[in-house]
Amino acid sequence: MKSNRTILGRIISHVFLVLWSVSVGMLLYWTIIASLKTNKSVFKELWRLPEALNFGNYLRALSELNFASYSLNSLLIVSTSVAMIIVVSLPAAYALTRMNMRWKNPLTLFYVAGMGIPVQLLFIPLFKSLSAIQLVNTPIGLIVVFITLSIPFTVFLLTGFFVTIPTEMEESAAIDGCSEFRTFYRIMVPMATPGIVTAVIVNFILLWNEYVLALIFITGKKYRTLSLGLYNLYAALQYSSDWVSIFAGSVLVIIPTLIIFILLSERLIAGITAGSIK
Amino acid sequence: MKRRRKYTAWLFLAPSLLLYLAFFVYPTIEALRISFYEWSGFSKEMDFVGLNNFIRLIRDTSFHAALKNTLVLLIIGGVGIFILAFLFSFLLNSGIRGKKIYRSIIFFPYIIAPVVHAIYWGLLVFSPRKGILNSLFKLLGMKSLAEFAFLDHNHIFSSVLFVVIWINVGFYLIILLAGMDRIPGHLYEAARLEGANEGYIFFKITLPLVREVLTILLVFWGFIAIRMFDLLYAFGGLLPPREIWTNAIYLYIVGFGKRDPIFQLGYATAIGFVTLILIVVFTVIIRRLLRKEIYEY
Repeated sequence: MKSNRTILGRIISHVFLVLWSVSVGMLLYWTIIASLKTNKSVFKELWRLPEALNFGNYLRALSELNFASYSLNSLLIVSTSVAMIIVVSLPAAYALTRMNMRWKNPLTLFYVAGMGIPVQLLFIPLFKSLSAIQLVNTPIGLIVVFITLSIPFTVFLLTGFFVTIPTEMEESAAIDGCSEFRTFYRIMVPMATPGIVTAVIVNFILLWNEYVLALIFITGKKYRTLSLGLYNLYAALQYSSDWVSIFAGSVLVIIPTLIIFILLSERLIAGITAGSIK
Repeated sequence: MKRRRKYTAWLFLAPSLLLYLAFFVYPTIEALRISFYEWSGFSKEMDFVGLNNFIRLIRDTSFHAALKNTLVLLIIGGVGIFILAFLFSFLLNSGIRGKKIYRSIIFFPYIIAPVVHAIYWGLLVFSPRKGILNSLFKLLGMKSLAEFAFLDHNHIFSSVLFVVIWINVGFYLIILLAGMDRIPGHLYEAARLEGANEGYIFFKITLPLVREVLTILLVFWGFIAIRMFDLLYAFGGLLPPREIWTNAIYLYIVGFGKRDPIFQLGYATAIGFVTLILIVVFTVIIRRLLRKEIYEY
């Protein structure tokens, strides 16, 4: 794109952008560096590189502080939730955009409006419901909550994608005598793959990072998620001064999202923007 | 044929609809119902108190403070985020190299867990005297800034606000950029041929044409800001300091918090009810404000 920018304008732009980028990079840099120091030297010698790389901090976090089992819990719970979110939302989004139903528009609004409900409003009654069916402090309970609370946004995202897919494919399939299910399974799902990939990534990130729902619905250590474990560790800081473990834990929490970011950032950004601009 | 189509449509909707109704819609209605009662959560008994909870809210100074914080977060935070997002989009769209890289980098904080942000900023950056900022200023010899207490009562909310803006800019930036990319190039070319400078182009062409996208983004920010919880709750460590309490935090503390021995669940859901109304009002205002003819192109 050509422009009438001056050289000075360009330099100033770059300076500003670089400064901001440095501030972003510092988040990673400082957290990683701090995680490799000892508790004595973290704050005393903040600006020096660590003398030795104390990977022991990570070992301690993983075993003594149970971060390994928390990671496993997170992995299982979040993966299951994300898979089920797609299984449940994809047909719904398809029905809402494609099928001839009288209730199409009000129903779509009904789903999407859920995005505006403050989640905190639901904490109490949801807890009441779940404890009535004995699902508090179980992985299944948390998974059900994760799935349900993700439905509005996922349906919103997926309907945005389905709307952009041309209808000729289904029409020809119908002429060929395909049932609705077959049309859906063999044609629509493959065509909606970019949308599905986006929904998977976004939901994974959101659920991996969250700790509040886990805080409410998981009460013991057995099923605790990683993000929650990190939060608990931080909250207990008054009683211990084990800063380095907290930083090591932070790095552990960041790793999956960092990997996603490195490998898929373009895909992710493209997906989010495509799903939002209809 | 048509009857079968309708039938299968509902079949496709069934799983999500059932979950949604059972664990989302029903609890929402329940919550609104509970707000008219007083309930400790321990017993099965709830006492109907009518509008008492809401009247209590009107008189509750803690709630006033929380509401004020929520509004500051919404408005000032929103202004900060969108000004920066527009600024970055302007900078990135003027033929600069590395647009995609910068865009990704600015977006990066958005996908990092809120707990990690709370720890990084609260423990490493803003820590009094020994934190990154204070010790940096000390090294640079800027004494007053080296002593600046980012986390004390007067400043902690502003510090948190800064962090919120810093995290969120990237998200709104990428969608804004995508919206701007849809503007046909010939409009820009024509303007440049007539000698318009970048600023003029930005304000008279780009800005008006992204109005639709901007509306969606503002409404979305409303949803996010008013119910923001994760980052704020983790920021203080064990318990977030009063100064950063927003509606959402206050609701949680009243309902589940460690301060009162009696959980006041009815009152908490009343707070939630008011918060919901706030979201609706904000959405309506935004849509009214930005509703003008859509420019055809």
